[in-house]
Amino acid sequence: MTIREKILVIEDEKSISHFICTVLNNNGYEAMQAQTGEEALSMISSHCPDLIILDLGLPDMDGLDILRNLRSWTSLPVVVVSARSHERDKVAALDLGADDYLTKPFGTDELLARVRTAIRHTRTVSGNDEIARNGTYTVGDLVIDYNKHQVRVRGENVHLTLSEFRIVALLGKYAGKVLTYDFIIKELWGPRASGDNQILRVNMANIRRKIEKNPAEPEYLFTEMGVGYRMAEGN
Amino acid sequence: MKAFKSRIRHIFAFSWRDLLISVLIFLCATGFCALLHQMADITDGFASPVYVLAVLLISRFTNGYLFGLIAAILGVIGVNYVFTYPYMAFNFTISGYPLTIFTFLVVSLVTSALTTKTKEQDRLRLENEKVKMRADLLRSVSHDIRTPLTSIIGATSAVLENPDLSKAEQQALLTDARDDAQWLIRVVENLLSITRIGNDQAQISKEPEAAEEVLGEAVRKFRKRFPSISVEVHVPEELLLVPMDPILIEQVLANLLENAVFHGETTTHIVLSVQRENDQARFMVQDNGRGIPPQKLHSLFDGALKCDESAPRDGKRNMGLGLSVCMAIVRAHGGTMEAKNTDHGAAFSFCLPLSKEDTRS
Repeated sequence: MTIREKILVIEDEKSISHFICTVLNNNGYEAMQAQTGEEALSMISSHCPDLIILDLGLPDMDGLDILRNLRSWTSLPVVVVSARSHERDKVAALDLGADDYLTKPFGTDELLARVRTAIRHTRTVSGNDEIARNGTYTVGDLVIDYNKHQVRVRGENVHLTLSEFRIVALLGKYAGKVLTYDFIIKELWGPRASGDNQILRVNMANIRRKIEKNPAEPEYLFTEMGVGYRMAEGN
Repeated sequence: MKAFKSRIRHIFAFSWRDLLISVLIFLCATGFCALLHQMADITDGFASPVYVLAVLLISRFTNGYLFGLIAAILGVIGVNYVFTYPYMAFNFTISGYPLTIFTFLVVSLVTSALTTKTKEQDRLRLENEKVKMRADLLRSVSHDIRTPLTSIIGATSAVLENPDLSKAEQQALLTDARDDAQWLIRVVENLLSITRIGNDQAQISKEPEAAEEVLGEAVRKFRKRFPSISVEVHVPEELLLVPMDPILIEQVLANLLENAVFHGETTTHIVLSVQRENDQARFMVQDNGRGIPPQKLHSLFDGALKCDESAPRDGKRNMGLGLSVCMAIVRAHGGTMEAKNTDHGAAFSFCLPLSKEDTRS
């Protein structure tokens, strides 16, 4: 018998919860449901799930409060679910330590991709198997070589500036995961860097022109509008 | 008590603008009287009508009764103290003087009352128009919602209640249901966009965003929904940062792309582009569909919210909501929008200003 990863779905809408659980159960996970924040907190301590899917709009308490509570004692992966027009909530959740988010409405492929990524990133120390093994990250025709500080596209070395390389390296390390503007800026330019993400935009535009075939149709570096950037998942 | 207080405050409303208007008009009247007094040396008689006129104007162009009444009192003083013999002295014994005071006060009160009433009526008329627009919008949206809901309920109950349906038939029905649900999401997101713009334009928060990122996102989502339609994207070589609310502009692009499919009817290829034009950025969606019917072209944007009762309503092919939301969003950004037919199909474009003066950075 294989041990299936346990996923706790915290969602008050029964039909949405039902659909998520059905999809998860049919894709090799073991799904559990909690309808309220109260119930969720007690289930987390008694069942020790491997991942939590958390709707930010719960009837009894603010989803962000649950997240804050969780992050005070565990780093277990959390994927938050929220509506489209609430980018601020998403950013707040990510900055509070959520691993990723899903925007309502979402399809099954998106749900499974987020779950897979979030579980994988907690399993390995560096968050990325390939980087730990050979010091490279490969996706499609793109190779990030962490040892040589190089990025290659279709075998050709791409000339990136230091900042540009560090952005690509950071996104590659967390491939599949969305990184907020603030997170990237703090990682790159230190905690006291200004909150202005203009410099980051310009850097990203330059990187896209060097790596992507068409900067408006990215294959590797995706924009999450109003939230941040995400590197495509590796092969 | 509170209501009474607020009513008093309403009647005797004070504003610096009104004060300025009153002072200006009053100074003009006084200046005019002084001029007449100097030049023609006509003494009595002319000051009264001039001041009555001033009081009338002040009552008309200010809110509430406050400034009109003050002007009336000052007018009485002006007539009596300054411009009536004995000059620079009060003389309350002039015959007909009570009548003068009475005239001033009545002119002020009546004009103020009329002004207040007209303003009230204007406000009511505007409100009525808004209510009517909202009703039109609701009617249009209800229709947009009812049709796909009917199909979703029909398709899902067909699958549930007919276990003998073949796998392929079930798939087809469920695919229809999913497509209709996706259409509904778009309708709802359009409505949410309207609430996001709100009533006054200052509410949208503009940040400089990379145009290529917004275009890229819109195209990525569009491809997922319509994999059979080919999309070409062109962005300038140089990074173009445009002050905007990216979620709203993405909505505009999504609506235009979707319209190209649903209203172009024969559309198989769409070209999406953005380019810099002097001090603005032009976003363009061109399709190779059947184009915009010429009789609709000139009235496409005016009264787009209106629900066209006479036209045959072919299910969800209602352009109203999507386009009017586009218009509202672009306008809230201080931009312009236009549509035209090209050799191959329709072309919708909108321009957003690049200037930063109204962007908080």
